[in-house]
Amino acid sequence: MEKHNSNRISTIILFVLSLPLFILYFFFFLDVFTVPSTDSIWPESFTLVHWRFLTETLSGKPSIWITTLNTLIFSGCVVAIVLVLSSTAGYALSRLKMPYRSQLLGTLLLLHSFPSVSLLIAIFIILQMIGLYDSLVGVIIIKASLELPFGIWIMKGFYDTVPWEIEMSGVQDGASRFTVWYKLILPQIYPGLAALSIFSFISSWGEYVLPFVLAPSAEQQTLSVYLAGLLSETTAVDYGLLKAVGLFYMLPVMIFYIFTHEKLMNIYGGGGGSKG
Amino acid sequence: MKIILKKFSKNFGQVEVIKDMDLEIESGEMVALLGPSGCGKTTTLFAICGIHNITSGQILFGDRVINNVPTQERNVGVVFQNYALYPHLTIYENIAFPLRIRKMEKSEIDQLVQEYSEMVGISNLLSRRPMHLSGGQQQRVALVRALIRKPNVLLMDEPLANLDAALRLRMRSEIRRIQQETGITAILVTHDQVEAMSMSDRIAIMNDGKIQQISTPTEMYSDPKNTFVAGFIGNPPISFYNGVLQKNYFVGTAMKFELSEATLSNGIQEEQKLEIGVRPEYVHPNFGDEVEGKILFIEPQGRETLYDIELDDGQVIRSIQMGSQQYQMGERIQWGMDHKNILVFDENGENIFSKLYGTSPKL
Amino acid sequence: MKRIPLAYWFLLPAAVSIILFYVLPVILTFVFSFTSMASDTGIYGNHYVYSKNAIRALEKSTLNRDIFKKIIERKYVFDSESLKIISQSKIEKKTQTEIEETLPGTVYSTEKALFEALDKLKNKPRSFRDKKIISRATIRSLNGEEFIEISEMRVAFEKLQIEVGEEDFDLITEVTNTSWHWTTKNYREVFSNPDSWRIFKNTGLYVTLTLGLFNVGCALIIALLTFYMSLGQSKFFRSLWLIPRISPSVLYVLLWRDLMDHSGFISYVMGYFGVAPTNWMGEFPWVTIIVINGFVGASMGMIIFSSAMQAIPKSLLYAASVDGAYMWQQIRRIILPQIRWPILFIASYQTLSLLTSFEYIQLSTDGGPARDTEVWALHAFHTALSNYWGNLRYGFGATLSVVLVVIGIIASITYLKLFKFQVLLQEPPIEN
Repeated sequence: MEKHNSNRISTIILFVLSLPLFILYFFFFLDVFTVPSTDSIWPESFTLVHWRFLTETLSGKPSIWITTLNTLIFSGCVVAIVLVLSSTAGYALSRLKMPYRSQLLGTLLLLHSFPSVSLLIAIFIILQMIGLYDSLVGVIIIKASLELPFGIWIMKGFYDTVPWEIEMSGVQDGASRFTVWYKLILPQIYPGLAALSIFSFISSWGEYVLPFVLAPSAEQQTLSVYLAGLLSETTAVDYGLLKAVGLFYMLPVMIFYIFTHEKLMNIYGGGGGSKG
Repeated sequence: MKIILKKFSKNFGQVEVIKDMDLEIESGEMVALLGPSGCGKTTTLFAICGIHNITSGQILFGDRVINNVPTQERNVGVVFQNYALYPHLTIYENIAFPLRIRKMEKSEIDQLVQEYSEMVGISNLLSRRPMHLSGGQQQRVALVRALIRKPNVLLMDEPLANLDAALRLRMRSEIRRIQQETGITAILVTHDQVEAMSMSDRIAIMNDGKIQQISTPTEMYSDPKNTFVAGFIGNPPISFYNGVLQKNYFVGTAMKFELSEATLSNGIQEEQKLEIGVRPEYVHPNFGDEVEGKILFIEPQGRETLYDIELDDGQVIRSIQMGSQQYQMGERIQWGMDHKNILVFDENGENIFSKLYGTSPKL
Repeated sequence: MKRIPLAYWFLLPAAVSIILFYVLPVILTFVFSFTSMASDTGIYGNHYVYSKNAIRALEKSTLNRDIFKKIIERKYVFDSESLKIISQSKIEKKTQTEIEETLPGTVYSTEKALFEALDKLKNKPRSFRDKKIISRATIRSLNGEEFIEISEMRVAFEKLQIEVGEEDFDLITEVTNTSWHWTTKNYREVFSNPDSWRIFKNTGLYVTLTLGLFNVGCALIIALLTFYMSLGQSKFFRSLWLIPRISPSVLYVLLWRDLMDHSGFISYVMGYFGVAPTNWMGEFPWVTIIVINGFVGASMGMIIFSSAMQAIPKSLLYAASVDGAYMWQQIRRIILPQIRWPILFIASYQTLSLLTSFEYIQLSTDGGPARDTEVWALHAFHTALSNYWGNLRYGFGATLSVVLVVIGIIASITYLKLFKFQVLLQEPPIEN
């Protein structure tokens, strides 16, 4: 099955298909550190001027540091909530005896594939009604709740692979089910917890629609809304600056990606992608 | 069609799997490639059918060199270890697949599929899918699919490995029958010596990417070229014992006996290191007294009983005797060997005494 | 006391948040779709306002003409409120005292009548300015008035000496009520609005093309090509195609905007062919939204298809080549038939995501130019949450979402039946 010729052709076709991606991300990194030339696509010189947003507050914008802090709080809380609630609920659904278990699993699966974006308007009204509109807390709760069905499903899958014998011998040794879960089972599914945290971190760090709609004011802004604000300004867009903000924004995701892209491949493969 | 491998070598990256292998298979002959796992037998098979490229040397079908002929054009039939039936196709479609690829007329395909499926008795299964078939039935489908395009060569990769013992016994003779009926040149890859011996005209026994010996099953048993072949063929296996030649005597730490004329005439030097191999059926209470020790282990097998005898130096000689258990574990005994039927190897493991004569043991 | 099983404690927090913020919104989308909620009605207020619109509506209504006249009339009333204002004014004390003694309870229908009554006082106001202050303090009219409770309105009617029958009162409250009300108008509007049909067609086109060309088409091509490649190369390409998905959406669209802008790479390259720098995004909005979504969407199919292909036993492909099938025949006869379920799964799953997601379109073309690339989900978003003409129509937006929610529910149930019916419903062997 060694086919050198067809292999070369495949590589060429794939390269051509992927060309836009190469160009997109090549100029991303290039433009961030260079002065654009007026008559050529190649830059004139190296510069750090685009990074001025780190030290000075851009006009009409909140400070980048407050925005970053907001984003960190938002993503951190979402990850924490999703992790804790998924690992308990996933365990209950995977291992504990309860009435209506199959119905619960069915509902979970239903929600798992349900397009949650279409609920945006109802969520907007609900948050206004309960007074959580335009607060980071509101967006955190909503984002976490929408991620939960996926998280629970993933965790349930990981729990399902843990041999029952561990649990049985734990119970035999006199431990309560809670102790068994906490001391014996949780350590078995660290890979699952890691995978879910990475996934929900990337998903919430990049989240744009929810904070944009549910917490638009400057004090609550996350980096996505901040960057979108810069992008939608009517004056000529300064792409160098925007890409620098973008690189600053994407840095944590990139670090995660470099170390975990193979694991990520598996999660997305598990039916995770909620985006188009 | 005759198959010839000339100085065939195959490397996977840096790893040399097959080195300078020569093999000639006559037209209509069935040859078994026998060896432990990892010896390169499947690699050889895949090279012949073209799934692997060869690193150097030549493969010929008849007098045509097929090194660079793509798999698709070699016209070989292969039965894979797990049968590799296409799960999404019915049995009929599976069998017809090679013909469809060759764009054969539909009526002709129909007729051939009928004819061949009758040959192996699966014509009532044609509309089913592979997963609904038993192992033996899948086996037959795979065989028929390999044969239906009238290939130059039939290659079988451990075709019986996934069957239960009884079925394996039946399929052995059935495959052999079909091969002989169709007169096709066939190569059988197996790690099971019984399979190899019972199904093939000749056995090529392989180890470490080299063919150790090519001969008929009987010859392989009675005249192994080296200790590897002697040890691999035969069940229960042969026992080996180390020693030196001193004045026509084989002398080990716990055993001494006079070697036969025939052996000595092969020009062994005095004080030369030797290794003798003795098959269990030639170790018996009536043969003499050089095997002296205690019974370490007894394995009753019904018709025969197997004794492991530990000599005083700790080496073990195995004996098989007809009938039920006669001796006790730990019992001290003094048995002998049939000196005519002892294999003698030099320090490199090469056979220097020609063969077993198979004289009936004095029972 | 019976102990509450651990399962409930473990399930409760997740269940509460899912029910409150996932299931409830599903139900409330339907509920809201039957309301006239909008930014000018507020979402809970029950206010009654005699706005210009309300007065106009009352004029056209079957309301008793006399009552209508009384409602729009101005009146000058000496009640505790007006007396209080007068007492705090700079009007002479003796005049004030006289007014407090003689006038309370009187109502005048015109300013002239008021002034005449004032002139009759012993200590009549000394200047016209004083009269005007009194006039301003006593003037009462329903016009422009806002009531929070119906009872307040009844009090006002009594004060103004307007006598209204129950039937007319109900009519008045209904017309003046500005808060949202239950209605099926939204649904009629969805069907009657010519925009709906156009946006529906846009959505169909967008979903079909993106799905066909990228989410399934391109994904399949990448999966197939990498399948026949060395491990290192295929890993590289698959990782590359995953990058758009992990990139924050705003940043990803930003990169495309730069690429397609006047000064961007495409303009630069096209310059060689003598094409003047153009905003390609504005020029080809359809290509833009399909490509931008497609490059993100292809990755999921690619991963699923690749792993499905890896799962095909190698020996099947060996057998196929031995049987005479070349690469293309292997793909067509062995690989594609064996991954038809994953293909179907991706096609249906991604249809759903494409139907409902609008993020990338909103960030790139925002449905423009001239609402050319407006799709259903974006239309709902624009209607209810973000538009330039000011009135955010939550109720109508919810109605538009109902369409998507219904499709979502049906599709999810279908998947459940189609793809995951083998859910492992094994009962736990430890029984508590």
